[in-house]
Amino acid sequence: MSRLITTRREILRTVGMTAIATAAAGLSRGARAATLDEIKQRGYMIVATEDDFRPFEFVKDGVPTGFDTELLKLLRKTVPFEIRQEIIPWTGLLQGVDTGKYDVAITAALITKERQQFLDYCSPISDATIYYVKRANDKSITGIKDLSGKTVGVQAGSAMLAALPQLEAMLAPTGGKLGKVTQYVSYPEAYQDLAIGRTDFVTNTVINLNLLIKEKPGVFELGQPVAAKTYIAWPVKKGNTSVLALLNGFLAAERKNGEMYKLQKEWFGQSFEDMPESFTAT
Amino acid sequence: MTAGDWLSLAQGALTTVTLSIVAIAIGLPLGLALALVRWRGVRLASPCIAILVSLLRASPGVTLGLLIFFALPTIGISIGAIPAAIATLTLITGAFNCEIWRGALVDFPRDQLEAAQSVGMTAGMRLRLIVLPQILRSAMPALVNEMTLLVKASPAVAVLGVVDITRAAVRIGANTYEPLPPFSAALVIYSLVVFLFVLAQRLVERGQRRAAAA
Repeated sequence: MSRLITTRREILRTVGMTAIATAAAGLSRGARAATLDEIKQRGYMIVATEDDFRPFEFVKDGVPTGFDTELLKLLRKTVPFEIRQEIIPWTGLLQGVDTGKYDVAITAALITKERQQFLDYCSPISDATIYYVKRANDKSITGIKDLSGKTVGVQAGSAMLAALPQLEAMLAPTGGKLGKVTQYVSYPEAYQDLAIGRTDFVTNTVINLNLLIKEKPGVFELGQPVAAKTYIAWPVKKGNTSVLALLNGFLAAERKNGEMYKLQKEWFGQSFEDMPESFTAT
Repeated sequence: MTAGDWLSLAQGALTTVTLSIVAIAIGLPLGLALALVRWRGVRLASPCIAILVSLLRASPGVTLGLLIFFALPTIGISIGAIPAAIATLTLITGAFNCEIWRGALVDFPRDQLEAAQSVGMTAGMRLRLIVLPQILRSAMPALVNEMTLLVKASPAVAVLGVVDITRAAVRIGANTYEPLPPFSAALVIYSLVVFLFVLAQRLVERGQRRAAAA
């Protein structure tokens, strides 16, 4: 059985975040994050990472691994202070950054408008744009305009479902229309129905789909973006510009020397060399 | 599952058992102290404890843990994950223990107290020699029941980054995409831990019966 990343997680994330943000919102406004000078003075930086978000960060045989973990290793080599890593589940993670408990979350956080109200994001570490995937042997789909009227499979309540109007808008200029939408509890079921022809295409983030295609070669084929670009990046507390600048400097250097793209290829099966230096969700 | 996975689960089990035992060791006397204050009807303290205990009993472990771990730093109290986990579990089990102890105290026959008073026993002596030995026995089944509930409530503290049995199983499942083996193993480990608590209760009760018979 293969369960792929991001989607169901993304819902849980949103629900958990909302609950905790609401609960602690009043309290956290008073908290402040440590500036770079304060971090240097105390001699260590506290970073939070997740433990079950493959391929970004997960724990294998008790050892943290994944894309972000590899970047963290590189970060340790470049900073003049110690880095203390706290591995915690997603539920309280962003709130921990917001209350100043963690200086940065070295984690895969989707850049969203709502999170930008209390977090500042570093330079993106990964593309998270929604693409469509089709059966490899389906010759009737060669581009976005061919998706008109076709049955689409998508996870119920997901960010992908919410993004379908964007595809509708993309189809409109060529007189196309969004076909029947079939919602699934989880993506593995949607992929199965796509494979046997019950649906014609499925939409999900490019990282998910790359993993799917890697696991089922020859069955599925990656299509094109069906929504505006979105990215994944590390968040710091809003207004913590000194820490943000340090991390952005590090991330820019890793892009320049190619390490970032090497790691992306290794963990996502694709490198995103056209990522912007900073991204704001609108 | 690999040998490393089993090792992770074993470490998780050690964490679960250690946290539970520490919380029980603090929560039992804490609950008793709170119950005694309420039993005596101490002015001001008694209603305050009643409200606190009701709040704690109503509070889910995850919520309380998040409050202690993430909200306290905003008022200047910073606390590590393990102390926060122990505080969470101790407060919860302490509140439930308080009600169990109080139930046993309320049921305690008044005539025994009056008899003890009539032979000149002080309040401290009455408590130590007459009340405690008897309520310990009558409250025991409910207290052990609460201990097993605490073990099963302990995964709540995983939200603070403490890796207990359940979190270890989640990590393995997230890694292999096969959740069935780690969660089945976790269930077996929980059963063993709870069985050990019940076994300990039986041994203690048998000892009490022997002592009573002797």
